[in-house]
Order: sequence, then C-alpha cells, then structure tokens
Amino acid sequence: MFARTSLRTARAFANAKTGATRTVVSQQRNASSQSSAESAPTWKNTATLSASTILAIGSCTWYYTQFGRTAHAMTMQEEGLHATPYPWEHEKFLKTYDHAALRRGFQVYREVCASCHSLKRIPWRTLVGTMMTVDEAKALAEENEYDTEPNNEGEIEKRPGKLSDYIPSPYKNDEAARAANNGALPPDLSLMVKARHGGCNYIFSLLTGYPEEPPAGAVVQSGLNFNPYFPGTGIAMARVLYDGLVDYEDGTPATTSQMAKDVVEFLNWSAEPEMDDRKKMGWKVMAIGSVLFALSVWIKRYKWSVVKTRKLQYNPPALTGLPNKMNPRQARR
Amino acid sequence: MAGVLSGVYNTLIRSNGVFLSTIFAGAFATEILFDTGSNAIWNRINKGRQWKDIKHRYMDAGEDDE
Amino acid sequence: MSVSRISTAVARSSPRSLRAAAPLAVSTQQQRSMADASTSHAGFTSPFHRGTGNARDTTVMPNWGKYKTGKETSNKVFQYFMVGTMGGLSALGAKNTVQDFLVNMSASADVLAQAKVEVDLATIPEGKNVIIKWRGKPVFIRHRTADEIKEAEDTKWESLRDPQPDTERVQKPEWLIMVGVCTHLGCVPIGEAGDFGGWFCPCHGSHYDISGRIRKGPAPLNLEIPAYDFPEEGALVIG
Repeated sequence: MFARTSLRTARAFANAKTGATRTVVSQQRNASSQSSAESAPTWKNTATLSASTILAIGSCTWYYTQFGRTAHAMTMQEEGLHATPYPWEHEKFLKTYDHAALRRGFQVYREVCASCHSLKRIPWRTLVGTMMTVDEAKALAEENEYDTEPNNEGEIEKRPGKLSDYIPSPYKNDEAARAANNGALPPDLSLMVKARHGGCNYIFSLLTGYPEEPPAGAVVQSGLNFNPYFPGTGIAMARVLYDGLVDYEDGTPATTSQMAKDVVEFLNWSAEPEMDDRKKMGWKVMAIGSVLFALSVWIKRYKWSVVKTRKLQYNPPALTGLPNKMNPRQARR
Repeated sequence: MAGVLSGVYNTLIRSNGVFLSTIFAGAFATEILFDTGSNAIWNRINKGRQWKDIKHRYMDAGEDDE
Repeated sequence: MSVSRISTAVARSSPRSLRAAAPLAVSTQQQRSMADASTSHAGFTSPFHRGTGNARDTTVMPNWGKYKTGKETSNKVFQYFMVGTMGGLSALGAKNTVQDFLVNMSASADVLAQAKVEVDLATIPEGKNVIIKWRGKPVFIRHRTADEIKEAEDTKWESLRDPQPDTERVQKPEWLIMVGVCTHLGCVPIGEAGDFGGWFCPCHGSHYDISGRIRKGPAPLNLEIPAYDFPEEGALVIG
C-alpha cells in the first residue's frame, strides 16, 4: 500500500515537473466551462437578483418610514424658533471665560435676574478668585441674612452671610415663587446653560428676541408675552433687558445685547465653573498623549521588527539516488 | 559623536538601576518644564481674559493678596 | 488522477524549481569537519549532506552580513532613549492619575470653606462666656479677667490629673478658647459653675477650673484646645 502510494506520488512528481502548469490550466478551463453550462437561462438569474434587490430596498424603506424617522410631536411653532448660533469666544477650544464679562454678568444677574430667579448652587466663595476679591464677596454675602443653628434656647436666629453660604433665593420655596408669578415658576439658573437645548445661543436669543409687538395672527394668552424662541411662543417672563438698565463699573456701554451676552457668559460659568481648568488640562493631556502614542507606535514597530524581517532559508536535500523510505517527503505521506 | 554616544551609553544606560533613575529624574524634570511651558502658552492665548489679569483693577493697593 | 493530487505535486515541485532559478547567498566559509564525523555512520546516509561534490551544504548559517548595521552604539542609545522616554511619560501619567485620586479623597471646597469660623472679639465683654458652633461642636470663648488669669497661672499644675500650665493652654492670657465637650463622655459643661470657678459637667459631675483643666470628677483630661489664630486685633479665627 505504502509502496504503491509512493510510486504514484513519484510518478505525479515526475509528471508535475514537466507538465504541471499545462495540466492545471486545462483543468481550470474545464471548471469554468462547467459552471457556465449550469447557469444557462440567464434571464432567470437576472429576475431573481432584481427581485431580491427590490425586496431588500423596499423592506429597508418600509422599516425606515415606520420606525426610522424622528417623530415630531409638536409643530414648529410649539418647538420654538431655533436659536441663532453665535460665535462665542469662550466656547472655543483654547479660550477661558472672559472674567471681566463674568463680573459684568454677575452684576446683571444681581440687579435684574435675581428678583425672580434663584442661583441656588452657587456659594459666595466661588466668586472669589473668578470675578471678585475676598473683601467684595464678603461684603456682598454680609448683605444677606441666614439662619443660625439653634442657640441655647432652641431658637433660630439670623446672622449675616458668610463666604461659605449659598446665594439666597428670591422666594422661600417654589410655591411662593409660583404664587408671585401667576403660577409660572421662574427656573433656577445655576445649570440653565446645560439644561436648555441650544445653551448659550438659546438664552441669548430668548433675552434679546422679544419683538416690539406680537406678529399678526399670533395668539398670546393674557399674562404671557410673545417670544418666538420660547417653545410655544408664550412666555411668562416679560422683556427685562433694555439699553442702559445697569451701570457697568468698567465703563462698558450697557446695551441690551451686551448685557445679554455678559449674563449668558456668567450663566455658562455657573453651569460649568470648571471649564477653564478643564480646557487647560485637556490640551495638556492631548499633547502628552499624542507624544506617547507616537512613541508606542515606534516601539511596537521596534519590537516587531525582529519578527517582520525574519528570513527563513531552506536548502532541501537532494532526492536523487536515495531510497524512497529515506526520503523525508515521501515518508511523511 | 560616537565617543559622546558611547559615553552616554556607558554612564546612563548600561546599568539598569542608573537607567531607571535617569528615567524618573527625567520624568520629574519634564513635568516641571512641560507645566511651565504649557502654562505660559495658555496664559498667552488667554491674555486679558483670566481673573489674574484683571484683578489688579479691583484690588486695593497695599491689601494682602489672598 | 484527481485535481488535488496534481496541485500537490505542483506545490511540491516549486521549491526545487525556485532553488534552481534563484541562487542563494550561502556562506561556504564555515568549517564543519567535526560534525561530519558524528553523522557519517555506516549504513546511514544522511539526506542533509555537507556540501560534498557540487551540492551545497544544507546546514551552514547563511551570511547575514548585509543586514548588519555599522553603528551599533548610536542605534542602541536611540532605542533605549525611545523606550526610556515612553516609560518616563507613562510614569508621569500614572503619578498624576494616582495624585488625582488622592486629591479627590481629601476635603472638598465646601467642607474647607466651613472649616474655619471667624469671631469678632470686640462683642465679648470681660468676664463673659460665648459659645459658638464650629464643625458641629460647641466652642467656649472666655474673656478672662485679670483675677482669673492670676488664679489660672498660680495654680500648682504639677499635681493635677492632666498636668498642664496655663501658658500652654492660651495664646493670649485674656482669651481662653476651648472645645466645649467634656472629656469624660462628651456632655457640654456649664460655664461659671463648679467648685473651681470654671466649668461643671452636669452629666457626671466633672469640675474644670478657669483654665479648663480637670480638677475633680471622672473626666480624665483637660478640655481640648482647638487650633486658632488672631489674624488681627479683635478678630479670632478658629480652625
């Protein structure tokens, strides 16, 4: 058995030396002619292919129309006008807040917004070193009264504010706020830039977007004001910013848009007070990280170069004149 | 050139302990240099925007700088 | 004869034809005289011949000379530099990561802001006690009179249970500042009471003198002194 196999192999080997290429080519030709003979009626193939393509595209289309599209529960008017994108300087990758603008924005908040809107999450101490000196912030905090801890008799007294206290709210609670504002709750502004779609652009558009009078045909309920940027267009807050409303101590002209811009930047700070540090750390990490990445790519290539440039050389032993059983090639069969 | 390189190799790299110490000392120096340099760049990009650039307007002269 | 058989045969034959076509760079310098003796037994002819006749030696190491670099030192220095730089930068990153986690575990800014209490001393008249809250604990502030200072300083403190001179317990003799928690079981002592003119703990009857030292009763230690500072005249910062 073994001998016959080896013999056959030896014959094949001898054959291959001379006629291998030709044999394979003829075999290939044979195979291709066979397959074409099987698929003789081509129109059937075309029809099947076309039908399955149409079915696939059609089912995808059907699925997309059923489930893929965004569902609009509200009309465009109910969504509110989309806020204009403005080129905010502090939103650029490598820019901090303009801290002079933060200071002006806090002035606007304190003199205008704070009569209705709270800023519960901001303690006085965070103003120190971002837009105020210690003494200024302390003086502002002391203008407000806070509850003390119970004294010896268990009574709660009032004390002037400290830096560790939070900015006081204009109303005692949400119910009092609703009662004072026709049932509409002025939202807390601490995280407002993060909380509204459009962020800075939305708040700026809202503050500056009050038209002189509602456009013809717009229905405005009593007690509400028309603002195209507010979802539903009827907003309880009236226009508050008018030119010259506040006096900026640094002499910046207090136009409506300047005040809106400053207060928006301040509200962005109150929502993301860590932004300056975050951006600074961010690009440092990117710089170090890209150097590390380049180094690691080099080191990967360095470590693999041994494997990648390896050359194997094999000089097969001569087969002539050897008994078959001594031939390692044939013995392996 | 080759002399300098073989000097570097023999003094810093040959012994593993010295090589490791060099790496850590270098990392320490790099951190200081990188922080100083990157902060300088950052402050130049944001010149006039940060609190430290404008606080002199609000600090009274002679007050303690807290 | 099947297709597979033929293709196998083709595959087998290809190294031979390759060898014939492309002559390989094989060093013939190596001497193999010793090895030959061990393998040339009678009755066994090794297929791996040693280059007899015009056939090449099959086991000699080829000459890799053309792949060798001529500048070994500079290459080594460069390679170690790259590896070392990556190690150093990674160590820097690891150090900063660990540092950030540790910083994250320390007291946050709002806790630190409440850790200090400022007291206006001008509102406390001589011979009066004031109790303020600091980190949730009562703190006694006593504006001592000259008589009380003299009494506190003249006491033979060496023989007390927790011996401590008055000068160790105050920064300014007229201001005694203590944490108002009895060292026995944590009650709040009553001021201007007890046998020694200081504080008296109503829970188990510990008497403290006008320097806040334990004189009588179960308490083991004097009243604790918090860290405090007088940043300017008439102002006190505890913490």
